Amino acid sequence: MSYIHVDHLQKTFIIRKKRETGRLLREKETVFALRDLSFVIEKGELVGYIGPNGAGKSTTVKILSGILTPDSGNVSVDGRIPWESRREHVRNIGVVFGQRMQLWWDVPILDSYGLLKEIYRIPDADYRQRLKELTEALQLENLLRTPLRQLSLGQRMRAELCGSLLHRPGLLFLDEPTIGLDAVSKLALRDFLRWENREHGTTILLTTHDMEDIAALCSRVMVLGHGQKLYDGDLPALLEKYDTSRTVTVRFEDPETMPALPEEASLSREGDLVKVVYAPGQIPTPEILEKLQQAGTIREMTIQPQNIDVLIAAMYREMDL
Amino acid sequence: MRSYLSAFRLRRKMELQYRGAMLGGIICQVVFGLILIALYRALYAGKPQTLPLQHVVTYVWLQQAFFRMLLASDPDLLDKIRSGSIAYDLCRPLNLYGFYYARIMAQKITGSLMRAVPMLLFASLLPEGWGISLPASLPALLLSLLALMLGLLCVSALENITMAFTMRTLDPRGIQAMLNLLMMTLSGNILPLTLFPDSWQKVITLLPYAQLLDAPIRLYTGDVPVGEAWRILLIQAVWIAVLIALGVWLWNRHQKRIVLQGG
Amino acid sequence: MKTVRLYLRSMKMLMKCQLEYPFSFFLQTLAQLVMEGGEMMAVILIIDRFDRVNQWEAGDLFFFFGIMSVTFYLTECFGRGITGNFPYLIRTGQLDTILLRPRGVLTQVLCSAVDPRRITCIAVGTVSLIIGCNLARVQWTGLKVLAMAEAVLLGAVLILALFVIEAIFCIYSVKSVELVNALSYGGRSACEYPIDIYPRPLRILFTAIAPFALVLHVPAAYILGKPLYAWPEWTAFVCPLAGAVFFGLIYLAFQKAMRFYRSTGS
Repeated sequence: MSYIHVDHLQKTFIIRKKRETGRLLREKETVFALRDLSFVIEKGELVGYIGPNGAGKSTTVKILSGILTPDSGNVSVDGRIPWESRREHVRNIGVVFGQRMQLWWDVPILDSYGLLKEIYRIPDADYRQRLKELTEALQLENLLRTPLRQLSLGQRMRAELCGSLLHRPGLLFLDEPTIGLDAVSKLALRDFLRWENREHGTTILLTTHDMEDIAALCSRVMVLGHGQKLYDGDLPALLEKYDTSRTVTVRFEDPETMPALPEEASLSREGDLVKVVYAPGQIPTPEILEKLQQAGTIREMTIQPQNIDVLIAAMYREMDL
Repeated sequence: MRSYLSAFRLRRKMELQYRGAMLGGIICQVVFGLILIALYRALYAGKPQTLPLQHVVTYVWLQQAFFRMLLASDPDLLDKIRSGSIAYDLCRPLNLYGFYYARIMAQKITGSLMRAVPMLLFASLLPEGWGISLPASLPALLLSLLALMLGLLCVSALENITMAFTMRTLDPRGIQAMLNLLMMTLSGNILPLTLFPDSWQKVITLLPYAQLLDAPIRLYTGDVPVGEAWRILLIQAVWIAVLIALGVWLWNRHQKRIVLQGG
Repeated sequence: MKTVRLYLRSMKMLMKCQLEYPFSFFLQTLAQLVMEGGEMMAVILIIDRFDRVNQWEAGDLFFFFGIMSVTFYLTECFGRGITGNFPYLIRTGQLDTILLRPRGVLTQVLCSAVDPRRITCIAVGTVSLIIGCNLARVQWTGLKVLAMAEAVLLGAVLILALFVIEAIFCIYSVKSVELVNALSYGGRSACEYPIDIYPRPLRILFTAIAPFALVLHVPAAYILGKPLYAWPEWTAFVCPLAGAVFFGLIYLAFQKAMRFYRSTGS
C-alpha cells in the first residue's frame, strides 16, 4: 500500500454573501474547494503541488494534515485517516508555512525547541542527537541563543524548518518556504530539503508559486485548478507541452550579416546582436542553426528556453484557470 | 478641512460595519447598568443619602450609555505606529495632529452614539427608581449637550497626547492602559463622582477626566444648577486650550524626529 | 503529569518574553495596580458612605470583594491563554497551528499566554481579604481553609469556562462576542458584593446560569460565619462543585464547536 492515498476527495465551503439591501436573509453559495481529487504518493517522494491562488492547494494540505474534515472521499496517510486520529497523525507530520511562524517571537530559538520537545514528547537522547544534526545541516549553531525577532528572514526560515523536523516527521508539508528569501538563502534551503529527503526518506509535499523551487527539487509535479487535478507527472514533460518558443541570440563577425530564415521565425536586431524567436514545433532547432551558420561566421550564440513563469501562465490560461 | 472630514467619515463607516458586535455590546452594557443600580438601591435602602437615588440611577445610565467615549482605543492607529506603516500618513500633505484628532473624535462619537441611543431608549422605559429620568429643564439639557461636546474635545486632545508619547516608546500598552484606568476611576464610571466624599469632589471635578461625562451629567440632573453652568464650561474651555497646545507641540517635535530617523 | 510539565515550561518561557520589555512591563503592572486599586477604593468609599448592606458589615464586604478579586485575577494571570488570547488565536488562524500538534487544544491554548502583570491585582485582592478577615474577626479552622481553597480553585475553573464560551462564539463567527462579557466581567462586578442584596433576576443569573454565587459566595459566607440563606454547613463544600459541572458542560459544547471548525475551515 502506498504512503499517501487520496481517493475521490470532495470538499465544499459555504460562503455567506453580503446582505443585499432589502433582503432579510443573506444568500448562501456553495463553492467547491476540491472536487473528486485522487492521487497516490509513495514514501520518500518529493512532490511539487502547484496551481493558481484559490485552486484548493491549502485545503488539500489541511485535510492531509488532519485539521480539516472533507465532505466525502477517502484519505489515508501511513495507514491512518488523518482527521479521525488527529493526535497520532500530527505526531508524524511537520508543517512549514512561509508566511506564518510557529516559533516564539521573543525568546531564543533554543527555548522554542525545548518547548516543542515537550509538546511532541521527544526523548532526551533523541532530541539532542536530532538537534545537533539539524543545526549542523541548517547552520544554526551560532543562532541558537538569539531571539527569533533578531534573525533575518532567511535565518528565521531555517529555524522554522528545524523546529518542524525535530520530532522526525515522516511527512513534511511546505507552503511557500522560499517566499521573500534572497538567492543565497533559497539555494541553501533547497540543498537542505534535498539532504533531508535523501538522508531520512522524508516524504515532502511542496506547495509554491516559485517554479524554480519545483524545477530544482521535485521529480514530480501535480497541477491543481478549480479543485481538480489537471496534471500529474514530471516537470520537463509538462513544460514541453507549453514550451512553444525559443530565443536564439547571435553575434556575427560581420555586424551587417542578416540571415535568411523561414517566415515563421521572427527576426530582430539589437545593436550588433541578432535575435531569432521561433517555435520548435514548427521549425526544428537544427534547421535554424544551419541557416544561421550559412549566413556568416558566428562569434557568439546562446539559446534560451522560455521563462518558466511564462510557461506556467500559458498553461493556466489554456486550462482556463 | 475636507481631508479631515473624510478621515472622520471613513472611520464612521468602519464602525457601522460591526452591527452584531454592537448589539452584544449594548446588552452587556445594559446588564452592567442594572447591576450597578441594583447595588445602589440596596445601599440606599439601608442608609438614604441627601443626593436623591434617582440622580444616581440617571448618572449610571448616562455613564453606561456613553462608556465608549471613555476608552482610549484605536487599535488600528496603534498598530500603525508600532509597525511603522504610519510612514504612509507622514507622507500625506496633512497636519497629522488635525488628522488624528478627527479620527479619534469620529471613533468616539460613532462608537458611542450608535450604542447610546438604543440604551437610553431602553433605560427610559424602565420604571421609576430603575430607569433614567428626564433632564432637570430644557436649558439644563442644552447646556449638558454643550458640555458633552466640549468634554469630547477635551478628552480627544488628551488621547492625542498619549498617541504622541506612543510614537516615542513604540509600546503603547502601558501608557494606554494607565490612561484608560485613570479615566475609569476619575470619570465616575466605577463609582459616580457624586458619591465620592465632598472634599474629594472639589478636586476631582477640576481634572480633565471629569469633563467628558461627569460635568454634562451634573448639568443634566440639575446637581449643578443652570446659573452655575458657566463655571463648568470655563473649566472645560481652559483644558481644551491647554491640551491642544501641548498636543500640537508634542506632535511637531516627534514628527521631526521620525522624519529624521526615516532617512 | 507531562501536561503539567508542559504548562510549567511554557509559563517559564512566556515570562521570559514579557521581561524582554521591562519598562513596558513595569508600566503595565503599575496600570493594573491603578485599576484594581480604583475598584477597591470604590468599595472603601461605599463603606465610608453607607456603612453596610443588609446583614453585611464592612469586614464582610471587604472579604467578598477580596475573594472575587483574588480568584478572578489568579485566573487571568495563569489562564491568560484562555481568558485573553483565544478569540485572537481563532481569528488569525493560529488555531490551525495548534491543531497541527499532538496535544489537546485547550491545553495548548492555556499554555499560549501568561499575564504576570496581574500580580498587583492579586495583591490588592489579598489586602482586601486580610482587612476583611480582621474586621469580621474570622476564626480560621482547617475546614475554613479547605473551603477557601476549594472556592478559589473552582472559581478559576468557572471563569475559564466563561471565557471558553467566547471562543465558541468566535468559532461560529457570532459577532456579538461582547455578550459573554455580561456574564464574565458582569459576574465579577456583581459578585464583588454578596449575591443576596440583588433582586431575583440577577440572583438567578449569577446562581443558576453563571454560578458565581454557588462557587464563591456560599463558602465565603460560611467562612464569615453568616451562612447564605441560612444554608447548612456542608453546602459550603458541595455548592462550589457547580463550577466544575459548568466547565464540563462548556467543554462538551467546545468539542462540538471544534468539530464544526474542522469541517468548515477558516
